[in-house]
Amino acid sequence: MHDFFQRADRLLRGTSLSPTWRLSFVYSIVFGLVYGAAMGCYSGLSEERWLQIVYSALKVPLLLLVTFGFALPPFFVLNTLLGVRDDFKAALKAILEMQAGVALILASLAPFTLGLYVSEVKYEFVILFNFSLFALAALSAQIILYRRYRVLIAQRAIHQKLMWAWLACYGFICAQLAWTLRPFVGAPDEPVQFFRENLGGNVYEVLGQMIVRLLT
Amino acid sequence: MREWIKSLDGLLRGEATKPDALKRGLIEVPAGGMLMLIAVLGAFYGVCMACFAAFNRPVADALMQMVASAAKIPLLFLLTLLVTFPSLYVFNALIGSRLTLRAVWQLLVATLSVMIAVLASLGPVVAFFSFSTTGYSFMLMFNVLMCSVAGILGMKFLLFTLQRLTTVFKEGSEPPKPVVSPPPPVVPASAPVPSAVAPSEAVPASSQTVAAADAATPPPFSPPALPAVPAPKGALEKAEDQVFSGDVMSIFKVWVVVFALVGAQMSWVLRPFIGAPGVPFTWLRERDSNFFEAVWNTFWSLLGA
Repeated sequence: MHDFFQRADRLLRGTSLSPTWRLSFVYSIVFGLVYGAAMGCYSGLSEERWLQIVYSALKVPLLLLVTFGFALPPFFVLNTLLGVRDDFKAALKAILEMQAGVALILASLAPFTLGLYVSEVKYEFVILFNFSLFALAALSAQIILYRRYRVLIAQRAIHQKLMWAWLACYGFICAQLAWTLRPFVGAPDEPVQFFRENLGGNVYEVLGQMIVRLLT
Repeated sequence: MREWIKSLDGLLRGEATKPDALKRGLIEVPAGGMLMLIAVLGAFYGVCMACFAAFNRPVADALMQMVASAAKIPLLFLLTLLVTFPSLYVFNALIGSRLTLRAVWQLLVATLSVMIAVLASLGPVVAFFSFSTTGYSFMLMFNVLMCSVAGILGMKFLLFTLQRLTTVFKEGSEPPKPVVSPPPPVVPASAPVPSAVAPSEAVPASSQTVAAADAATPPPFSPPALPAVPAPKGALEKAEDQVFSGDVMSIFKVWVVVFALVGAQMSWVLRPFIGAPGVPFTWLRERDSNFFEAVWNTFWSLLGA
């Protein structure tokens, strides 16, 4: 247990003895669960709503890991094709650590979310707030990613591009998956459910239509 | 199967296209096995693509669409290859490159394998978007985008490999570069070749070159490697400074564009791949219009125009 937190600390500081592969996954899951549970508390802890907390808790690690699973094959092939397959282990470690970092940062932000929920705010604002926290966590975790990638980039400049390719690919899939996995927070006036009945289609289509509607 | 996958891996890693591996003037891959892999990986992508139909069609129709797409994707690539290969070879030979028929074939099969490998790696992403998207236009454009990504990477592989072959041929026609010694006196490249032929009867020329290059001390009479392709000497040797002149490269560049155009139109002929919602299953649709017009229209309909 002590080791668990010590390695998490080292992950944040970027000192040596970084977490192992398995531990990176464990961090993504455990800290994801923590933030997800906090996020799901919006509609209260009453008997009919507690299931929402479980669902929300499960969804955050699910979002991270499934996105990772989808984005990994193209990333692997691209690395191989661009001739840096030998560095793939290091690259994989970097992206895994970043993902663990996202979960860790999110978990550290969970008290803010809970604090906000106590102060009775509107559902729309809650959504926006959670979205901002995700964005904040993703952006901050770039530090972890870049710290690991800096070494690789120094060796082969192509890693710079590959890093961006990973982020673009991950982000692109993550947005759609997040849309599919809704509701994360759970509107208080809707029944508790794991998925919305209508899966909601494609986030980019929805966004595009929104923009068109705004412009016309 | 394992061997084939290993070869594909070698292609992706660039091991099969290292200068050393290209000594014989072609990519050493099992072409038959690669074609099998192309079929398997293409079928995988086809199934991923047809996942869209699974949500918009009765089950039987959806299954048929999956089978059809799984068959059509490999077919699409192979037909495109067959359509473009002969003309490429002819122009290639005409312009005076040293690539043999087999070398061109190997090169193209390798390129296709790379393309399909990239495409297949994107398969799960496509399947996921197919499951969660309702808009047909979006899926159409998304698949076009994925295929373009795979195509561009494959074509880059082709052009880079060609460039590497250029250097191989150049080195093959010059004496192997000695590590320390001053450049040898200018030897007419054709002169020592006959003398080198005799001792190298038992040993293939390529391995001799490797040995010569490996030995740090340049042998006094280092036999210049034979031209990688046992081509008639003389006529070819004269042009060796420009083995792959700009002409050959531009032929390939034009071919890349032609390949893309043919592939795109071929995909139009072979459609439907995805299966529009509400349309009953058919193996092929009527032949009307063309790919580019359709993509253009889809693009605008996606923007809501």
